[in-house]
Amino acid sequence: MRKFGEYALTFFCIITLNFLLPRLIPGDPFTFLAADTDEVAITCSEEQIARYKEYYGLDKPLSSQYVQYIDNMLHGYIGYSIYYHEDVLAMIEKRAAWTVSLVTVSLGISCVLGTILGSFSAWKRNRSFDQRLYLLMISFSEIPSFLIGLFFLFIGAVCLGWFPLSGGMSPFAVFASPLPKMLDIVHHALLPVLTLVVARLGEFYLISRNSMLTVLSKDYIRTAQGKGLTKKRILFGHALRNAAIPVVTRMFLSLGHVFGGAVLVENVFRYPGVGYLMRESVMIRDYALIQGIFLFIAAAVLTMNFAADMLYQKLDPRIR
Amino acid sequence: MNKVCKIMAAALAVALLVLASGCGGNSLSSDRGKALVVNLAGGDCGYPTPYSHYARGPGMFKMQLIFDSLLERGEKDYIPWLAEKWDVSADGKVYTFFLRQNVKWQDGKPMTAEDVKFSFEYFILHPPLGDELTLNGKSVIEKVEVLNDHTVKITVDQPNAALLGRLGQARMIPKHIWEKVQDPQNFNGPEAVIGCGPYVLKEYNKELGAYKFEAFKEYWGPKPRVDVLQFVPVSDNILAFDKGEIDLTVISPDLLSKYQDNEEFKIQKNPPFWGYCLTFNLERRPEFQDKNMRQAFAYAVDRQELVEKVARGAAVPASAGYLPTGHIWYNPGVRQYEFNIAKAQELLKGRTPEFTLLISNSNDEVRIAELLKISCARAGIGLKIRSVDGKTRDAAAKKGEYEILLNGYGGWGGDADLLRSVYAAGANADSAFLGRGIPGYSNTQINDLGAQQIITMDREKRKALIFRLQEIIAEEVPRLPLYNTTGYIVYRPAKYDGWRYMFDHHEVTHNKLSYLAGQ
Repeated sequence: MRKFGEYALTFFCIITLNFLLPRLIPGDPFTFLAADTDEVAITCSEEQIARYKEYYGLDKPLSSQYVQYIDNMLHGYIGYSIYYHEDVLAMIEKRAAWTVSLVTVSLGISCVLGTILGSFSAWKRNRSFDQRLYLLMISFSEIPSFLIGLFFLFIGAVCLGWFPLSGGMSPFAVFASPLPKMLDIVHHALLPVLTLVVARLGEFYLISRNSMLTVLSKDYIRTAQGKGLTKKRILFGHALRNAAIPVVTRMFLSLGHVFGGAVLVENVFRYPGVGYLMRESVMIRDYALIQGIFLFIAAAVLTMNFAADMLYQKLDPRIR
Repeated sequence: MNKVCKIMAAALAVALLVLASGCGGNSLSSDRGKALVVNLAGGDCGYPTPYSHYARGPGMFKMQLIFDSLLERGEKDYIPWLAEKWDVSADGKVYTFFLRQNVKWQDGKPMTAEDVKFSFEYFILHPPLGDELTLNGKSVIEKVEVLNDHTVKITVDQPNAALLGRLGQARMIPKHIWEKVQDPQNFNGPEAVIGCGPYVLKEYNKELGAYKFEAFKEYWGPKPRVDVLQFVPVSDNILAFDKGEIDLTVISPDLLSKYQDNEEFKIQKNPPFWGYCLTFNLERRPEFQDKNMRQAFAYAVDRQELVEKVARGAAVPASAGYLPTGHIWYNPGVRQYEFNIAKAQELLKGRTPEFTLLISNSNDEVRIAELLKISCARAGIGLKIRSVDGKTRDAAAKKGEYEILLNGYGGWGGDADLLRSVYAAGANADSAFLGRGIPGYSNTQINDLGAQQIITMDREKRKALIFRLQEIIAEEVPRLPLYNTTGYIVYRPAKYDGWRYMFDHHEVTHNKLSYLAGQ
């Protein structure tokens, strides 16, 4: 319960920051002085701007805007995007599924794969297999995810032509049944997922390797070896159960990082998720939308951290 | 290790399965044999109604494919479109448009003069995004009368030479649909995209940023050559073009060699209607009140170097008279300032001023600023560069918080009234790019000529005034235009080669005429 209180307080601080940040950045959604090359900037007259500001409450003092903001949030209304003519919540809802599935699938895969590789590494400690793998993983975990993404895009989509260059599914395609549609979505998601998996793999590998090394030096493992159990049985039957605790909590805790990675990767692959939208909304200073997206990410990360706390208590009887 | 191999193999198998199943092919539901499908780079720019497309980006052009206007922008000037003929009264206050007959809305109903009257009146109540008929916060239209089924008379509050184009560009919307609409910003049903233009919106996907347009079979005008026009999401334009996912792309000059001397591709240079300009703040730095100082600056800038090093050759040095080469009323006879350090020093008379140059953090602007700094230093002008995020720069520009401002923007090909909104004191109420004019600068000659040309309805007389205006501006240099980008496009002529420019705009894909048969 005390934990919950801490989280509630954190969340409150986040929404306050979230409210202040876009308003502290200079510039507003109405000033377009420079337009990109293919753009025709359309300007609002002062009168139109005043009307907009009144409509969105941007002309009121900050304090009353803040009260309004909190009140709206309690009613589940997180604003209306000036630029996109749409409710922020609806916009995020439409895109959240893309991002959440990208994140969960890649997190799941990198966690399982990292654990398996880490366990093997620990078992073959200090032999050449371990050393090579260790080096490989360390190097991968230090490369920024968008670079990995560009690399895969170049190899997989350009050189080999096996994958589409961008997007979440084929535009205008007519699917006879749900299966080809599913396959189309999977086909588009493979590279972004692969990118995120590779980017996070090292982290899980290192944690599970360390954790496994600790566990493998314990007495009961020696006992198991003495009983003549197979390597596989010892590793995945006895040791992993205890070694997995830090891995699982890390999986929840690293959600924030994965979201960060997803933002970059979505922009590389032009994947129709929240991350791509976030970049757009920052470019155009769409306060309401920026706030909505930050809120969404903050809420997701906090929820997961809270879940990780709870889970850790469940898994590890020593923490009570 | 076996396990890892198995997983890898499984992943590969899935990938191959997906490929083998060949999904993702665009099955055209068209029954017209071989329809010509042209694909272009997509991106979400809103639902293409006059109210719901986004304020920036190419949304307006997608909307214009669906909605026709009285006039259209041809390659040299405005051309008849929904209006076959028009007549402007001598005092410039009454415009009579004679409409084409047998024009149909995309829902099959006939379009009449009533619809035209309705459209103009609706736009007064609810200004659309690309509204050009509100000047200084008030609509220019006094009344719209239907004389008969195909003649409309529009009375405006004051003569304005740029109005014909503005009236001619207003989109026509069907009365029978819009008369019931109270809140056009939130009117986003299928009915909202019924116009009388050459293309019908078939599909729009906001998240993917994809649009699909099909030719309107009962279109009154030139036959569409492109049957289906698709805007598809791409991560990288060049990659998508190479793979044939899109049929035309903008390319940077560095990549030209890749497509040159190859039958398969055609490269075109765009007209120079986008450009960079320096603005001097005479309020903050009174030194700029002295014309010699501004001219010294003009001599100390090597425009050719900027074109070569920053724009990689895809630009032309800007004219000191502001209107770029390629503008229909560009005056080639105005004073130009070649790069000449000796002349700059002569004009400076031993002064060595220091200024702060405000720029955004875009790569090009940073490069421009660095080169300016070097060449100005040779003349004895010190430049301190302050680079901020683009939006911050825009806000500062709006408030006049700068000494010298660097800014890049489009629209240099527009009506020559540009000169008034850019240079005349207090005239920039509808100037998008320049915040609030030139702080502290007012020149009676420029102000008077600017006011005069806009009420001169005779085209030739007006042109003469505009030429004169460019001469004075070039002499005065209250702003220093640097260069106008041309940019290149590349496309596959075998697939489609109907690309055409409008007289005042640099993007062929934005031009409705690009997709229609030539006239």
